Amino acid sequence: MKVKSLQLFLSFLLSASPAWAEALKINGSTTVNLPATEAAEVLRNEKKMEIQLDTQGGSSGGISMLGEGLVHLGMSSKHVSDDDRKKFPKCDYKEIQVGEDAVALVVSKDVWDGGVKSLGKEQVAAIYEGRIKNWKDVGGPDKRIAFFNKEPGRGTWEVFVHWVYGDPKKAPQVSFPEVGGNEEGRNKVASTKGAITQLSSSWADGKTAFALSLKVGDKDVSPETEYIASGEYPMSRPLFLLSNGEATGTAKEFADFMLSPRGQEFVRKHGYLALADLKR
Amino acid sequence: MSGVGAGRRFSLTRWASTGFSALALLTLLAIVSLFLWQALPVWKLEGTGFVTREKWFYRQDQYGAAPMIYGTLAVAAVAMILAAPVGIGAAIYCACFLPPRLRLGFKVAIELLAGVPSVVYGLLGILLLRDWVYVALERFDVLSGDSLLTAGILLAVMILPTLITLADDALYHVPLSRRLAARGLGLTCTETILHVTLPHAWRGVLAALLLALGRACGEMIAVFLVVGRQDNQWPEKLWSPRPLIEAGQTLSTKLGSSETNIAYGNPVHWSAIVGVGLLLLFIVTTVTIIGSKVGLLGKRHET
Repeated sequence: MKVKSLQLFLSFLLSASPAWAEALKINGSTTVNLPATEAAEVLRNEKKMEIQLDTQGGSSGGISMLGEGLVHLGMSSKHVSDDDRKKFPKCDYKEIQVGEDAVALVVSKDVWDGGVKSLGKEQVAAIYEGRIKNWKDVGGPDKRIAFFNKEPGRGTWEVFVHWVYGDPKKAPQVSFPEVGGNEEGRNKVASTKGAITQLSSSWADGKTAFALSLKVGDKDVSPETEYIASGEYPMSRPLFLLSNGEATGTAKEFADFMLSPRGQEFVRKHGYLALADLKR
Repeated sequence: MSGVGAGRRFSLTRWASTGFSALALLTLLAIVSLFLWQALPVWKLEGTGFVTREKWFYRQDQYGAAPMIYGTLAVAAVAMILAAPVGIGAAIYCACFLPPRLRLGFKVAIELLAGVPSVVYGLLGILLLRDWVYVALERFDVLSGDSLLTAGILLAVMILPTLITLADDALYHVPLSRRLAARGLGLTCTETILHVTLPHAWRGVLAALLLALGRACGEMIAVFLVVGRQDNQWPEKLWSPRPLIEAGQTLSTKLGSSETNIAYGNPVHWSAIVGVGLLLLFIVTTVTIIGSKVGLLGKRHET
């Protein structure tokens, strides 16, 4: 009840109810934002559509802003959870998958050159919980580990803890410096020695930020397209557009374009897997 | 009878302006009471622990904001220590040495700087300051360039324009006759400034410092980009400088994080976030109100 009155108050303040606005408003994950931005550019030019894209709060931001009715489409790099559905009972979330992406553990150059090329689940958990604080304990250089934790609520973070702990709710609470969007994570790893972060694998450029392989059984699996497509690489995630009920009007036009061959090409261009690449 | 137009005749202007001021006041009251009401659950849960406890783990329903209060004050203190001497020095130069025309030009430039959006300062901080601090402090084994110190230096640059222009106003309005009299008695330039201008304008300068401090405490996005946003960084020794070169979290960067999205819908967590907002509101308004009061008293004193 409290929440509802606040929502009323806020929407009154912002008067941002989509019923009055003309532009198509989209908000959410920075990962999905990359191909979506290009799609929006094309639609602006060719169909004269007005589209506003934003990435406030990442996937959680996309889910909650769609739930509050502040945007027409959400972008998310994780499934809408039952908790989310409970929070916004009026919103009938529909997931439209537009691609697939892998989350990589990305390290800085000194760590990579120091010999750390892959990590197992146990090692990752130990680093995350602060039991391992130096790279030399996992076969790397003698350097303190600077862990940049992706903000909780980001799709990337959820995929990471899902692999390590099975369920985001089981993840221990830790205090690390936090990073938000993909640009921020990559830049901080690139400019800090001994750095590691969870990052969409397409952002590891192989010059300043390097994607580690993960040990699955006794095999090292790298986040390359074929292993993501085959499902062998364990930290991958679907990329979604979210709509409230079936998408209609301009929102439907946008979603359809993302699923068309041209839209899918944008998905591939940014290093993600297009729907046709998935052969599970 | 007080002012003009306060007679018996009905005055539309008077009624309308009364109405509008009442509306502004009511809005303020409504916002504050809404915040207080929304923050109730966390007060019920934590009580004073909300401001004194050192752990913030929202999934275990622990909400202690003390490290964020420390972060806010530490960042603001660094900013003030760095900005105060530079700012007051620049203001003295501007008010006492520059010819009036140049002074105006200087002030326009400074005030333009005050209008630069803070996200621009934040990006400059990432571009120039972060790596510089990281390299400069590498021998202390810092984890990264994100630290309370980095944020403080950046904030110092950001509050300088406010500080300079307000302090300059205060110094410039010291009556010329007094300054000339001091020079006439044979005091040097420096003596005039130290013994006549500054003592006469100290209230205004103090007000400038406090208003700049208010801005420093409330600033979000620029700090957000370089402070590291690490929770639960309560220092073991409160006065040791070591925590300053570690990452930290301030009240305003907490509000800017994606945790506000997660909190929404969970009454206790949400109220903890609103509580952080209240704390921030409290600190900033207190500093600003004291600042304006001191400044006003100074003006009355002059006339």
